[in-house]
Amino acid sequence: MKVTLAMKPVTKGFIPIEAESIVPKNFLSGTDFSVWRGNRELRLDEAFSVSVEGSADRAEDVEVVLSGDTFRLKRVGEYMDGGKITVLGGIGMHCGNFMSGGTIEIHGNADGWLGREMAGGTIVCRGDVADYCASGYRGGRKGMKGGTVEVFGRAGDFLAESLAGGTVVVHGDAGDMTGAEMRDGTLVVHGNCSRPAANMKGGSCYVYGTARGMIPTFRKIGTVQHDGRTFIQFAGDLANRGKGNLFVKDYEYLD
Amino acid sequence: MIVKDAVCPFCGCLCDDIEVEVEGNRVVAVTNACELGTTKFMGEKRLKNPILRDGNEWKDITYDDAIRYAADMLLSAERPLLYGWSGTHGEAQCVGVHMAELIHGVIDNTSSVCHGPSILAIQEVGHPGCTLGVVKNRADLVIYWGSNPIDAHPRHLSRYTRYAEGFFLENAFRDRKVIVVDVRKTETANIADEFVQIKPGGDYAVLSALRAIVQGKTDTIPRTVAGVTREQLIRVANLCKSAKFGAVYFGLGLTMTQGKYKNIRNAIELISELNRHTKFTISAMRGHYNVYGSNEVNTWMTGYPFGIDFSRGIAFYNPGETTAVDILARKECDAALIVGSDPAAHFPRKCLEHLAEIPVVQLDPYPNATTAFCNVQIPVAVTGIDAEGTAYRMDGVPIRTRRVLSTDYLSDDEVLARMYALMQEAQRS
Repeated sequence: MKVTLAMKPVTKGFIPIEAESIVPKNFLSGTDFSVWRGNRELRLDEAFSVSVEGSADRAEDVEVVLSGDTFRLKRVGEYMDGGKITVLGGIGMHCGNFMSGGTIEIHGNADGWLGREMAGGTIVCRGDVADYCASGYRGGRKGMKGGTVEVFGRAGDFLAESLAGGTVVVHGDAGDMTGAEMRDGTLVVHGNCSRPAANMKGGSCYVYGTARGMIPTFRKIGTVQHDGRTFIQFAGDLANRGKGNLFVKDYEYLD
Repeated sequence: MIVKDAVCPFCGCLCDDIEVEVEGNRVVAVTNACELGTTKFMGEKRLKNPILRDGNEWKDITYDDAIRYAADMLLSAERPLLYGWSGTHGEAQCVGVHMAELIHGVIDNTSSVCHGPSILAIQEVGHPGCTLGVVKNRADLVIYWGSNPIDAHPRHLSRYTRYAEGFFLENAFRDRKVIVVDVRKTETANIADEFVQIKPGGDYAVLSALRAIVQGKTDTIPRTVAGVTREQLIRVANLCKSAKFGAVYFGLGLTMTQGKYKNIRNAIELISELNRHTKFTISAMRGHYNVYGSNEVNTWMTGYPFGIDFSRGIAFYNPGETTAVDILARKECDAALIVGSDPAAHFPRKCLEHLAEIPVVQLDPYPNATTAFCNVQIPVAVTGIDAEGTAYRMDGVPIRTRRVLSTDYLSDDEVLARMYALMQEAQRS
């Protein structure tokens, strides 16, 4: 089954639309649900032109395609556990929060908190992602626990904060505090980033470029070969328990 | 007439030993207050009555009309923003939260642009804090980190730290050491026993290094960390470990620089580490006299301290998304009520561009920078001068502010209660 949702031109300024109901599973029982613009409830067909092709009886066979000006559409794919969501443009905050299965593919940029606290499944973003990609919630001890996030553009600050499992790969540069508080899982940044793996407890963080503002409490172990390249290996963060591994091609202290 | 033991409604110190001399309906002299507090008590040139923007001019309107305007504006909005709240008393803040819930709006206070990061850090790792009296009587080491009390909280030093007597200190001035950590040599640094000068943006690295040194992992620390030598870091760590009771006070130099709440988290984790060796506490130098109160009121009413979004009928909290600067910069609200703060003087230009496009009502006694963005401004009585109510000191102690003179101005909670009643009426019909 293929569900196409074409966003209608937004009538009222830039007020975001919250659409946690856009999850493949929900379309198995029709399209009669609502989304919220600010404090107003709208029917799905008030905000989107909806078209459904074919039928399905399990979420895995549902593909939802979103088009139009979707950069202010929040919470798409929240708690998704199977099927596929394809976003042809950009997507708003909290896309794929808590997801445990299925695939989200975003052709444009993604706003903050992409894949927050996700437990499984795959998110691919062809553009850039804003802050807190694959992170946790405020005050939470664990961020993303499983699954895969792959970003082909750049990432903002606090990428994979409190990462507790799964794999995050960013092909471009990442921002400040990349992988802060990470405790498990794997984080790979192909470009440069700032202050990676601050206060890390466990897991592995790879920086293929330069780590700027390197945290001074990482112990240098030596050099290792990985993915056909030479990396400098550090153990840290010694301010914390120091059981994580940080691999960087190059680094600079703020000395 | 002289009013004794008045409470100063300026900064988070909430000094409660002020003497105010009143003649007629004017404050003519203020004793004990600092320059900032005195200026607030002596403040003049208040707005006389509510005003409505009429083209390029201001028109005088009645309180009834102004309150009706605000209620209608908020009721018709799809995502109203209720911002400010730190410059008013707890009773008014309560009405504000009820109002936000009723109209399904977003309520945020000024801590989202000052000590919000401190709260985010406390939510992650807790708050080993204490009241100011404990520090005054016991602390033999005080650290000011990224804060400059001589300019911002002038009586903090004389009432609680550097120049204060302490019950458990024989000669407080001699026995109490003061360390100042900052990016520049401030006035407060001049009276410190040790000054640690950090390169801008280097607080996190220095805190990490101190944590490792306190744990005895000194050998991995580079020779300098963000401009601070390893020797000085070791000396500071030893000063901390050998203190009987240490207290850290941090300001916006730590919360609003690169890394924000991660800086505070790192500082709190340093304090946790020091508590394995001696007694140490850490607290924020709160700015507005009742900014702590607005966090307190919001928390007991909604579960969250600031940036609360009631759009969906339940409280949702996510600083960075539901906070005033972010909402305004993304143009995500369609009306704003400003109470007890002056966002136009502090917010980024991008936020003000949106504030200029939407209807805005402000409750404030004085014309200020935000007046230029208002459709309606309603003058109110000043808490602690001609209105009374509860405020929370920077250490979380509630203190009832007193009225030192009486005027005809309505207080914030009276104006808001009337607004709220109109909204309830409209919702019922």
